[in-house]
Amino acid sequence: MRSVKRSLRLGRVAPMILCSALNMLMPAEALALEWLEGKVQVHGFAGQGATYTDHNQVFGTSRDVSLDFREMGLNTSVKLMPNLLISAQGIYRDTGGSEREKVWLDFAQADYSHPFLDSSLVLGVRGGRVKIPFGLYNDTRDVLWTRPSVLLPQSIYFDTLAFRRGMIAGDGGVVYGRYTHGENRFGWEFLAVDPQDNTGGVTAFETGIPSFFPKAEGSLGGRPLLIGRTFYEWMGGRGKLMFSVVDLDRDFQSLNTFYQNGNTKMTYPLFSAQYNAELWSLTAEYGWIDSQRSGYSSQLQNLPTWKKNTSENFYVQGEYRFTTNFSAVLRYDVFHLNRDDRDGKEMSQLTGGRVAPHRFYARDLTAGVRWEFARNFLLAADYHYVNGTAWLNETDNPTLSTNPDATSHFSLLTAMLSFRF
Amino acid sequence: MQQHSSRWFIANAAAARLITEALLGIFLGLLNLRRAVVLSAIMLFPNMTLHADDSKVRLLDSSHSVKQLTTEMVREIFFMRLSSWPDGSPIHVFVLPDNHPLHIRFAKEILGVYPFQLRSAWDRLVFSGTGVSPTTVESEEEMRARIESTPGSIGYTDKKYGDN
Repeated sequence: MRSVKRSLRLGRVAPMILCSALNMLMPAEALALEWLEGKVQVHGFAGQGATYTDHNQVFGTSRDVSLDFREMGLNTSVKLMPNLLISAQGIYRDTGGSEREKVWLDFAQADYSHPFLDSSLVLGVRGGRVKIPFGLYNDTRDVLWTRPSVLLPQSIYFDTLAFRRGMIAGDGGVVYGRYTHGENRFGWEFLAVDPQDNTGGVTAFETGIPSFFPKAEGSLGGRPLLIGRTFYEWMGGRGKLMFSVVDLDRDFQSLNTFYQNGNTKMTYPLFSAQYNAELWSLTAEYGWIDSQRSGYSSQLQNLPTWKKNTSENFYVQGEYRFTTNFSAVLRYDVFHLNRDDRDGKEMSQLTGGRVAPHRFYARDLTAGVRWEFARNFLLAADYHYVNGTAWLNETDNPTLSTNPDATSHFSLLTAMLSFRF
Repeated sequence: MQQHSSRWFIANAAAARLITEALLGIFLGLLNLRRAVVLSAIMLFPNMTLHADDSKVRLLDSSHSVKQLTTEMVREIFFMRLSSWPDGSPIHVFVLPDNHPLHIRFAKEILGVYPFQLRSAWDRLVFSGTGVSPTTVESEEEMRARIESTPGSIGYTDKKYGDN
């Protein structure tokens, strides 16, 4: 017990030690460590967050202010030839009950691209452990610097649920292309990877087995995960349209006697749009998760939404830049687990009332600020007024579904201090 | 008495509304005038300083051949999405810090984008491992010196060739 506490304390001070150590190692003006005329670069980031909620728990015991919110990464990239880039990144992330594997290899890849048609067309391939290209924010979602707020819109980028690990990266390959013509830019990426879905949270998400059923043990395999993303950009990114789609078809091999083998199919299309003016940006993303399951257990066949379901996920967001270092964000984010049952009443009835209606939706009004108070130091904070608990996890909230006193409305305040180089 | 006062109100309502609207109009007019004065001052002031320096942002590269580049290609280079010159040799990009006035002018006037868009694109490349960031130098003098000594490099300046 004592050693656990000690390691917890060490975990809390680790980012501060890293920050100050890096600060001392580097001259204040250096933005990155680089050698051989920039052909070898090392970058990193370290962030410590704090989370408070008035009801329910997010990232640990947030009702008492949780400091269980840390993200750190270190990466290196090496240009072996002008068009051949080798890169790798390791990540340490701790967010209460939703992150069980705290350290992982985020990406380790080789990327080769070649320009054609007077450099207006670039075609490339990438292989290894590659990041999953999805929507506007997925590729670099663990870095505060590339997020508009401390927490991403949870309807699309689930962070408190353990299956987020399945959305981060996969082992396989990508082919991509970009074409520029005047003020117009087009691009596409197509990826086939073995997903990292044999971690606890991801398996539970794909099997979709409700928490009041016995836990399924087994492994997922079968066809690689397919992902496509295409975009159109106008005037160097002033206007941006994007379409991403994830297509998953996995076979479950059961290891305990309660469950048979099963199959899960999921399609997740996402439409994204963004307009960037000098002082403000408007962003919206809309998508839905289509899921179909067969096998597993005869008892589950009575749950129609377990067999076949379509969710609804969207947000609209406005950002305003008061100065180059200080900006604010306002967002409305909506998640309906079943788009034909937005108040969750029918879904709750299907479980015989064992899961409360508020577990099937979440509507989040967010206001946030970002302040880069010194070069490479960022302080961000956001306030969320949330109705519905669909994106809360039961590791941090064990009695959320069954407790009749659990409240569906809660306030969430989260802040993070981040350093990068 | 009651009837009388309500009649008075009806009779004078039109006049009262006219006065209120006129006052509002004058107030809004003054606001507009103030905004116009402030705006024109803001617009004139940098123009005057520009004329004083006779400075225009332009590209600066080690081989002095940037004139052959198309605008699209320049944008792709500074967004770090193009890593080699047409002859296959590597491109090395130098920039000033995000809030440096010359960097802001370069982003707006030459690339037609805002500095936050460049920074966002570079961060995404670096932290997804799909690209590298440009090299940040601290001053225009350092930029010129680094470009002179680095083959295949490109940056920007607002001084004429030969100025020191």
